[in-house]
Amino acid sequence: MRLEKCWFCSSTIYPGHGIQFVRNDAKIFRFCRSKCHKNFKMKRNPRKVKWTKAYRRVHGKDMTQDSTFEFERKRNRPERYDRNLAENVLKAIPKIDKIRVAREERHHKNRMKGKTEKLQREAVKELEQGISLVKAPSVLQQDPSLTLPKIKVKVSQQQSEENHAMEE
Amino acid sequence: MVQYNFKKITVVPNGKDFVDIILSRTQRQTPTVVHKGYAISRLRQFYMRKVKYTQQNFHDKLSTIIDEFPRLDDIHPFYGDLLHVLYNKDHYKLALGQINTARNLIGKIAKDYVKLLKYGDSLYRCKCLKVAALGRMCTVIKRIGPSLAYLEQVRQHMARLPSIDPNTRTILICGYPNVGKSSFINKITRADVDVQPYAFTTKSLFVGHTDYKYLRYQVIDTPGILDRPFEDRNIIEMCSITALAHLRAAILFFLDISGSCGYSIAQQAALFHSIKSLFMNKPLIIVCNKTDLQPLEGISEEDNKLVKEMQAEALKTLVGQGGEPTDDDSVLLTMSTLTEEGVIAVKNAACERLLNQRVEIKMKSKKINDCLNRFHVAVPKPRDQKERPPCIPQAVLEAKAKEAAEKEKRKTEKDLENENGGAGVYAMNLRKNYILASDEWKEDILPEIVDGHNVYDFIDPDILQRVEELEREEGLREAGAEDDDFEFDGDELTPEQQEALAEIRKKKSLLIQQHRIKKSNAESRPTIPRKFDKDKQFTSERMGRQLSSLGLDPTLAIKRMRSRSASARGRKRERSPESKSADGRDGMDIDGDTPSKKQRLSRSLSRSRSVSRPPHEVVPGEGLKDSAQKIKAIKLAKKSVKKRNKDARRGEADRVIPNLKPKHLFSGKRSTGKTDRR
Repeated sequence: MRLEKCWFCSSTIYPGHGIQFVRNDAKIFRFCRSKCHKNFKMKRNPRKVKWTKAYRRVHGKDMTQDSTFEFERKRNRPERYDRNLAENVLKAIPKIDKIRVAREERHHKNRMKGKTEKLQREAVKELEQGISLVKAPSVLQQDPSLTLPKIKVKVSQQQSEENHAMEE
Repeated sequence: MVQYNFKKITVVPNGKDFVDIILSRTQRQTPTVVHKGYAISRLRQFYMRKVKYTQQNFHDKLSTIIDEFPRLDDIHPFYGDLLHVLYNKDHYKLALGQINTARNLIGKIAKDYVKLLKYGDSLYRCKCLKVAALGRMCTVIKRIGPSLAYLEQVRQHMARLPSIDPNTRTILICGYPNVGKSSFINKITRADVDVQPYAFTTKSLFVGHTDYKYLRYQVIDTPGILDRPFEDRNIIEMCSITALAHLRAAILFFLDISGSCGYSIAQQAALFHSIKSLFMNKPLIIVCNKTDLQPLEGISEEDNKLVKEMQAEALKTLVGQGGEPTDDDSVLLTMSTLTEEGVIAVKNAACERLLNQRVEIKMKSKKINDCLNRFHVAVPKPRDQKERPPCIPQAVLEAKAKEAAEKEKRKTEKDLENENGGAGVYAMNLRKNYILASDEWKEDILPEIVDGHNVYDFIDPDILQRVEELEREEGLREAGAEDDDFEFDGDELTPEQQEALAEIRKKKSLLIQQHRIKKSNAESRPTIPRKFDKDKQFTSERMGRQLSSLGLDPTLAIKRMRSRSASARGRKRERSPESKSADGRDGMDIDGDTPSKKQRLSRSLSRSRSVSRPPHEVVPGEGLKDSAQKIKAIKLAKKSVKKRNKDARRGEADRVIPNLKPKHLFSGKRSTGKTDRR
């Protein structure tokens, strides 16, 4: 029993899922679900389809080279069974996973690092440009700060009556 | 060895048929058309050809007859005699002689007439000659008609003769009629000879074949012989006599002990003595048949004496062959074909005697030396008395012994399987013979999949070390990352600025929304000018609110608007309370923002739609069940109105055509097509 990777989206294919396609040149294409299969039949390049891992790696969205990937490598020569070794391996797998995940997160954070600055600048620009929607130019001339204008509210009789009601 | 098979002789046609065949063949195979205008040589040639052709055919056919019938002198004397007995040698030879003469006569006729034809001077004359020639040939054949018929009969009979090979091992059975010869041959061979209680059931020779010591023996059944002088014998008896005389075979003389054949032992003994001359140089066995009816011991004295005499005679033949004179049993045998006791013994004895005789003869002949000279077995001559057995090394012997012992002791997997319930029940433990560092590990189960990874991909002897390295690395990196974790943001917006920004975004999104709504219902929205303001978007109140939100003072603007509106249009008529429309003002007024209390109340009551409530909320008194129903009702209403709105119709009954004759439909030439219809 082996978990395979989908050729199109690179997700793991669990047993009982998906379709395998064998081409005439004996190359095997495994798909996790019909979405990937249909995309393949349409001859789409996974490197250009946004939601696939291939795209994300090519466009630098996800971590590509890392030493944690070296641990998981398909070995063709079986090793003789050793209980201690097996124990070590089973203990090591979650550790490696944790580290890999942490590294991916770091990578993501790195990628998103300049976001807040950018947002700030954009906000400032928007404010500057759009202030005319909320503040009349003459008002802006008088009060050049980029804030909402102070509205002069006409206080009528009725309202004073209401206020009294509220106080009581 | 020539096969005496007379089945291959061609059919002899009778006289008339013969003539018909030949003449029709001439008619077909020679040219038929001739005219008297042809050259004389051609005419002569034509008729000569016919004559010659006919003669040739006759010659051929008659020759085949003569050749195919066997010549009695040239075949084995047995067959010669047999055929003589059956068909009379003289008659046979005469018939064939006649055929021969006919052949010659026809040849002569043809020769003569061809000579005459050479000098035929007209078609008619040639034709007459040809007719005469053919006619004469045919008469010749007609004359030999009886011979042809006789030969045909002979041929048919000959074809049914049994195919007896005179040179092979043969056993001949003879004796009085009804003694049990045919039953005997039925028993030992596959022949199916008629067995009946009357005498002379068997009227001719019958052949069967039997096997003994991997050799095939012919067994010939003969018709019964009566004790008569030679000359008085009929054809049937003569057949058996011929067989006895000419075939070199073992003879089984059958004797009926019980006498149920109708003849006494004395008569049978007399017969024996009369034909004993025929038994020269042939192994003879006297067979006493029908012992179930009368055992050999129980016969009378005289009969016994007669039997003993016959036995003595038989012994003589044995002595003649070189056997022991005291061997009684091999010459006198008893059996019963009914109970089948002794039948096989008789057969075996006969075959044995015959075989021995034949072998002896062969040994004495000159040919045997040729056979002996063909093979030679070489045996090395021992040079001394020492024994030299084969040499097998001790180790090999030991190994062989051990292997044998092991084979018995070792328990195979198959045995194990059978013990534990068979193939379907027991599953072999495949891990039994694993070679591991520790035997405890043999039954360990290692998971193949963990957390979405294949465990086998991770197996590495130095995985521990690598993981340690990795963790160290990670620790370092984490420490380093903590340092530059915080990002200082340069200029943040103040809360008021943020407020303003939020407001700007809200306004923008509202604009976008409105635009989208406008875009989406562009199809069903009527394009009407702004003065027919149904939703009251363009009120002075609104303008005031908007201006004040922008920070401006709207009062001046509102005043200006009012004054403008009144003066621009002017009052068309007196405003009276009655003339005012249901909602307190007519559509011309832009604003109505100073309503009296009364008007306000009346307005709120008379409005068909309350502005403050959502449209799908059910108001009591409307007659609708719930808001879903109301929504549906509203939808239906809207649907029915949509088209008319688009056409800017005032209502259902509005059928006004603003332009009865639009110019573009009633004038102008068409680029393609006719302008018949407008």
